Amino acid sequence: MSANIQSVSTPRSGENSWWYLLKIVTGVLLVVLLGIHLVVNHFIGQHGLLTYADIVAYYQNPIIPIMEICFLAVVVLHSLTGLRGILLDLKPSRTILQVIDTFMIIVGVAAVTYGTWLILTIKSRG
Amino acid sequence: MDTQHNRPSPSRFWNWFNPVGRQTSGWAFMLQRVTALGLTFYLFLHLIILGQLAYGPQGYDSFIKLVSSPIFIASELLVVAAAFLHGLNGIRIILTTFGISVTRQKQLFYALMVLALIIITVFGIRMFTV
Amino acid sequence: MSEKWNITLKVSRQKQGEAPHFDEYKIEVNPDEYVLDAVERVWAFIDRTVCFRHACHHSTCGACGMRVNDVEKLTCITYIRDVTHDGGTIKVEPLRNFPVVSDLAVDMGSLYRRLESVGARSVLPVPEAEIERSPSSWSADDGQYIRLADCIECGLCISACPAATTSKDYLGPAVLAGAQANGLKRNPELMNLVDSEDGVWRCHSAFECTAVCPSFVDPARRIMDLRTQIFKERVGSLFRKA
Repeated sequence: MSANIQSVSTPRSGENSWWYLLKIVTGVLLVVLLGIHLVVNHFIGQHGLLTYADIVAYYQNPIIPIMEICFLAVVVLHSLTGLRGILLDLKPSRTILQVIDTFMIIVGVAAVTYGTWLILTIKSRG
Repeated sequence: MDTQHNRPSPSRFWNWFNPVGRQTSGWAFMLQRVTALGLTFYLFLHLIILGQLAYGPQGYDSFIKLVSSPIFIASELLVVAAAFLHGLNGIRIILTTFGISVTRQKQLFYALMVLALIIITVFGIRMFTV
Repeated sequence: MSEKWNITLKVSRQKQGEAPHFDEYKIEVNPDEYVLDAVERVWAFIDRTVCFRHACHHSTCGACGMRVNDVEKLTCITYIRDVTHDGGTIKVEPLRNFPVVSDLAVDMGSLYRRLESVGARSVLPVPEAEIERSPSSWSADDGQYIRLADCIECGLCISACPAATTSKDYLGPAVLAGAQANGLKRNPELMNLVDSEDGVWRCHSAFECTAVCPSFVDPARRIMDLRTQIFKERVGSLFRKA
């Protein structure tokens, strides 16, 4: 006996399994990456990464800039995707959602670009 | 005619932060949302402030002197706390989404929050004694 | 000699066209009576204009759901003793997230329409009912054993859900639980309905629904199970040929 199911088409990419999977994957990565970031900043050496000199020295190891850039990209992705999820709870109209999406893409790309530039600049000072 | 009272509406988003009548994991939801917003705000603030590094040791190290006062360290600890509370609660959410520990999720929440408190204490001790 | 308490019942009042307010009524009750009895006593002997819903008085019909001291309860099985003390006050309000028709009665139409739209069944073969510790003889495949679905459609879960507060189109825990009981294998047409922003992804794992459900439906567990079904289907389809 088939039920009388009215299928509702989703006219926009609100929240769906792929967005959620993105949040989950970036979340799991962050538990590792943010964990490393916090431990390194507070527990490495005598007083953590405090002075300018400490930080420049830290970035000389070739793995570090790669890890930090990955961390930046993942945290920006998780944060903006999560924020988008919260805003979706307010049921924005289709137009407003498009504005939000555009704004987030701009902010996200800008943040990662700026961060990458900063990391590479600091590395080059060593 | 006040027929909007009691209907779902975006303007009632304050209810996300309303502790009245909440059960345990309702608190977890509220915690997750508050820490998410706080951490997002902090993330972008952090990125902007780190731009100070580009101005060389003089500017940055005097900035570090400013933020070494106890009030700043305390607020930094708050950020560390938010990060661990959000992350460990997030692990609970991921596990339950895949059907793991759904029937014991309240106990899992308590266990993870105890773990978070232990980690935060360790960080707190380190941050205030260095 | 049965015990007698003197309590105050603080009832949310709202007629069409008015703003909501509270009216207080002082009544004498036996603490082993139920909150619904107290509301009925107010209606019968003090104020005939108080409007509320009730029917079976034994947690089967789902009609008497209300918020008692800010927590969703089925008032026909909520002892007065459990929510107040002698000389105390019980605050009674209508369920949240449904339009108020009058005082404590709300319009549950959206819930019933949505349950219909996911084809929620009121009778299930026992193997599909997911009862804990059911006797093994009941899981015989011939489907000779059937039972009523646990969900009594009382709406407490939707009232308690923080996501439902802001999203009027959210299907809600009861509906998603009904969809899960159908399962995506049995009804693949459900996929678009549940794998959407107003389906399972609106849920933020607050688990308030399971906490208030009076009928062991455990909607939160069912929503999580639906998510697992959706992931299996979506990710699995990437690996299937054509």
